[in-house]
Amino acid sequence: MKQAKWILISGSLLLAGCATSNPFTNIPVEDRTGRPVPSTTPAPVVTPPSGVIVTPVDPGLGVTIPGEVPVVRMQRELPPADEVWQPVTPQTRTPTAPSAPSAPTPSLPENTAVVALLEAARSDTNSGDLRGAQSRLERALRISPREPDVYYELAEVKRQFGQFLDAEQVALRGVGVAEGQSAQLRKLWILISQIRTEAGDLAGAEDARERASKF
Amino acid sequence: MSKKRVKTTRRRGQNQKKSTGSAIFKWIFAAFLKLSILGAVFFAVVLIYVDGQVREKFEGKRWALPAKVYARPLELYPGQSISIQDLREELTGLGYRFVSAAQGPGNVEVANNRVRVITRGFDFPDGAEPQRRLMLEFSGERLQRLYDEARNETLPLVRMEPIQIGGIYPHSNEDRDLIRIEEAPPFLKEALLVVEDRDYYSHHGISIKGISRALWVNIQAGRFVQGGSTLTQQLIKNFYLTSDRTLSRKLLELPMALVMDFRYEKDEILEAYLNEVYLGQSGTRAVHGFGLASQFYFSRPVTELELHQVALLVAMVKGPSFYDPRRNPERALQRRNLVLSMLRDHGHISDAQFQEVAALPLGIAQARSLHKGAYPAYLDLVRRQLRKDYRDEDLSSEGLLIFTALDPLAQSRADQSMVTVLNDLEKRHGARGNDLQGAMVVTDPQTGEVLAVVGGKDTRYEGFNRGLDAVRPIGSLAKPAIYLAALEQGYTLASVLQDTAINMRLPNGDVWTPQNFDRQIYGSVLMHRALARSLNLSTVNLGMEIGLPKVVDVLKRLGVERDIQLFPSMLLGAQGMSPIEVAEMYQTFASNGFRMPLRSIRMVTTAEGEELSRYPFQLRQQVDAAYVHLIQYAMQEVAREGTARSIYQRLPTSLNVAGKTGTSSDQRDSWFAGYAGNRLAVVWVGRDDNSQLPFTSTGGALPVWIEFMARDKPEPLVAARPSGIEYVWIDEETGLRSDPLCQGSRQLPFITGSAPQLSVDCGQHPSVNTPTPVEPSSGWLRNWFR
Repeated sequence: MKQAKWILISGSLLLAGCATSNPFTNIPVEDRTGRPVPSTTPAPVVTPPSGVIVTPVDPGLGVTIPGEVPVVRMQRELPPADEVWQPVTPQTRTPTAPSAPSAPTPSLPENTAVVALLEAARSDTNSGDLRGAQSRLERALRISPREPDVYYELAEVKRQFGQFLDAEQVALRGVGVAEGQSAQLRKLWILISQIRTEAGDLAGAEDARERASKF
Repeated sequence: MSKKRVKTTRRRGQNQKKSTGSAIFKWIFAAFLKLSILGAVFFAVVLIYVDGQVREKFEGKRWALPAKVYARPLELYPGQSISIQDLREELTGLGYRFVSAAQGPGNVEVANNRVRVITRGFDFPDGAEPQRRLMLEFSGERLQRLYDEARNETLPLVRMEPIQIGGIYPHSNEDRDLIRIEEAPPFLKEALLVVEDRDYYSHHGISIKGISRALWVNIQAGRFVQGGSTLTQQLIKNFYLTSDRTLSRKLLELPMALVMDFRYEKDEILEAYLNEVYLGQSGTRAVHGFGLASQFYFSRPVTELELHQVALLVAMVKGPSFYDPRRNPERALQRRNLVLSMLRDHGHISDAQFQEVAALPLGIAQARSLHKGAYPAYLDLVRRQLRKDYRDEDLSSEGLLIFTALDPLAQSRADQSMVTVLNDLEKRHGARGNDLQGAMVVTDPQTGEVLAVVGGKDTRYEGFNRGLDAVRPIGSLAKPAIYLAALEQGYTLASVLQDTAINMRLPNGDVWTPQNFDRQIYGSVLMHRALARSLNLSTVNLGMEIGLPKVVDVLKRLGVERDIQLFPSMLLGAQGMSPIEVAEMYQTFASNGFRMPLRSIRMVTTAEGEELSRYPFQLRQQVDAAYVHLIQYAMQEVAREGTARSIYQRLPTSLNVAGKTGTSSDQRDSWFAGYAGNRLAVVWVGRDDNSQLPFTSTGGALPVWIEFMARDKPEPLVAARPSGIEYVWIDEETGLRSDPLCQGSRQLPFITGSAPQLSVDCGQHPSVNTPTPVEPSSGWLRNWFR
């Protein structure tokens, strides 16, 4: 009895909205949902400030073709190595500059930590502990932000929470990360299609389904 | 005072002797009876009052507990990029002891490539991390293997405990760290009882023996020198009463002690005592309880205290200021050893043990080694975020746990980079380099978490936080937004811009004549080059062509929330922004067009670990990834060939960073914003009085940024090519299509189909100067991209 009274703090924090059924409706998360800003702010004045006089120049649109005179250049053997500089896709992680010290390998999909977190998150989801799953997936995201599976699972958790907009955006980010990985892209677009269907965006869902079928 | 009281009693006794006679006796008897009843009633009332008081305090919320703010817990996993030195720094922050043979929690043993750590474990809100005996195997700057020696298993992942980086304190300025009695280290109870209250477990809240002894000592001394207080009385004194040594206090204290002892178990009262007792002062904050005192004096949890440390804390109960081991080490040592000798005299330790322990030094941690106080700028950000969602009194009294994203390693690297470079600049520029200030915000571009904030050159200063509040013109940092707006309007990186003189009459009649930094005019310039070289005239011409509202729209979508004035000078960054606002904007570039609100807090829980709110990973696509890819290419060019070329003199080219320099007009602000794979950093260098600097972006902010990236060793930026992007060979001078075989050609990314059709001629094709198909016809060139 005495021990029972020994609870240090009642823990009865009166935080508005803690009792609502949707766990996210009133949680003080960022209000800045990042929707297109102009909807909340007055549209900027379209006319340029009066009185501004630009000296007459022709800024051109990149189509200022120097007449019909052909531009002639000398030929070269091969382009200098450092000019053949192009961003690489995750599959072909070739170092851009051969002389550069070996770069630390970016977190790989077979990262055991991420695999363990994904497995635990799936079992959380199966047992209905969506918040537990969400925590684990965010840990996985911090460790391996280029792993499409993490975005897939996180989007799936958000979908189950009924947060369709968030779910769709996370999945779309996954698509960006999965660039070039057909199986992952297919999976993600199927999920996006499902999310859009549940959110009532049937045209969007159809579009996503079509994209999925391309992979 | 005690003396006076004794005298009064004696005089009353003499008066009674004088009074005689039966009538008087009768009267006295009746009076005595009435008085007794009155007394009994009075006594009962007092008892009820006292009982109520005791219960209210003991069973209610006993203490206003400050919120505890934690850094991110360090995750350890095979393949992780972390050096032994990094781990060392983290463990030092956690108060681990580096020993030759790890035995208990909080011990570390470092060998060449292996580290043995006995972790303490931590109850995270999403699950407990057990205590473990870990063997960590490193290979260079990488963790190779994690092995739990106690459970004989290889682990995929372990979370260390988070470093507590601060608290949010109540107005009383009391700070404490609650402990349970089972957590008391060996000898704490024994030492406390031997020194303060030997009959604790046998008395009933007050000790007649103790009071008489005190009385005797006081009478002899002729003044108050000793209190006969039991631990129960001391607790009551601290709980309910002022510390004045008045008679009324003493009179109320006695029944309260009796009631408390009657109502509660000895260990419950002792536990309350362990948490209540005042043990020192940390600036304006009072240090209460053994839990916090252990952190304050030894930088480790109370459970890990050793005998000599326990003895010192017990010694300090008598007078925390008088026996302050930092200010009066001699005195403290003497009294500590007195406590140790009392433990020996009462048979708790052997003489050999005494001899050994009494020879030990005090072993006090440096006051500054406490991580509290090391992160004022970051905590400021956390507090501002919390105040949007919580009431001040809840933050300072409910013992909330606040889990933040602060990365202590990144923060200390940011601090050191800022201090090192600013000192260096002041030395190099002499008097013209005086009073430099700086600010920095570091984020993880993939998650939107804020990892570190530097608020000024004095990184421990709790005042003006330049990272959040220094709103300064961003200069050329605005340019990527303008070029992005142009790309969305159909321009390409190969569009030809006009870098020509401009005169503009402003609404107020002034004439604005922007100039390039070097006061040159470059004529026709390709767009990617204009951005890489940060040309002002081309930018203003471009911005006026596409229109200011379009530029503002892009800025808003990128994450700028403040109102932006629609003046042409906005195109050259006349708009003031704080470093954290710039970070939010560049974050959107770094995450391929997805805007992520910057987050410093991950979760807030009750003291028991129950979740109150979480701040989840959220994002919204604001710009098509393809356009961001183009802008990012140009920002990578800034580092490769443009204004920030000095980056690769120090950093490996494989890092592939993207960034932009910025210098405000008249050279009052030096900015750099840029990112690698998992780090984005925005640096501002300038002066509080807004005076001119002896350097531009590349001389002030950029060196700080480079220093930070060199120390932090981030992962390289992987710029995956999104769908809808093709790379085409372009003639550098004209922006026409070209060929790898032609001189003066380079590859540029384009939205598929937007590359110029007309080509230069170097004899690469049989048919010259006819529009070439969009896809490169030759097979080998196509293979170039696979």
